[in-house]
Amino acid sequence: MATLPHEDIYQLVREPIDMLALVRQVRAPEDGAIVTFDGFVRNQSHDRPTLYLDYEAYESMALAKMREIGAQLHEKFRIHRAAIVHRLGRLEIGETSVFIAVSAPHRAAAFDACRFAIDTLKRTVPIWKKEYFEDGAVWADGELPPAPAATPRAKPAS
Amino acid sequence: MLPLAPSPTTRYNSPVPPVSQAIRVTVLFFGRLKELTGHAEDSVGFADAATIEQLFSLYAARHPELVKYRSSVVASRNQEFAAWDTPLRSGDEVAFLPPVSGG
Repeated sequence: MATLPHEDIYQLVREPIDMLALVRQVRAPEDGAIVTFDGFVRNQSHDRPTLYLDYEAYESMALAKMREIGAQLHEKFRIHRAAIVHRLGRLEIGETSVFIAVSAPHRAAAFDACRFAIDTLKRTVPIWKKEYFEDGAVWADGELPPAPAATPRAKPAS
Repeated sequence: MLPLAPSPTTRYNSPVPPVSQAIRVTVLFFGRLKELTGHAEDSVGFADAATIEQLFSLYAARHPELVKYRSSVVASRNQEFAAWDTPLRSGDEVAFLPPVSGG
């Protein structure tokens, strides 16, 4: 896989995410724009009040997948640096669960890359959230990552 | 030069260590699958060749509720998404992953 710029940041953390520190790390004098995405805990799910969320991950694979997203960002968009940080464990309402920052010389690439990063993360990175309500807890509906199809076998002549 | 013929004794009579086909893999469960099976990590041995599908079937036999999740599970082998017919190799880390919900 392509090597990532060493200023890029891909992390799973258990403490609150320091968004300003990440923005400072991703901004550079040669850039003209930075686009950030701050995903945080909503106070309800399907009109049921949420108490808190608990996130878990397949940590080694999740980090590998986050770095793969980073490599794709650099391949697909004219960006400079990227940071993708996801928090695990118990998160209260309003706390940031995922933060993405992308810097670029021009804004369009930063917007496009940031959107691509969060959309791809939600589809392919093995992280799960459990939602806690007054009357119980459920694993959130998620997306099934695209997996390789079964090995093709020789087709009978038709 | 004549090739040395193996002596009948070494060919047929000496004890030959069995060629082991045994496969041992680490299995990981996440989210509701972890709750359902009661473990996050397990280690399983097979006497002979096996696929990820057969590995899942082994757990489905022990935990019948797993069957209804089969169509909404993806598998990974050594941290890469893998097809269900992927053959297992000794030392593999296989994980069963419910639909992901990060972000």
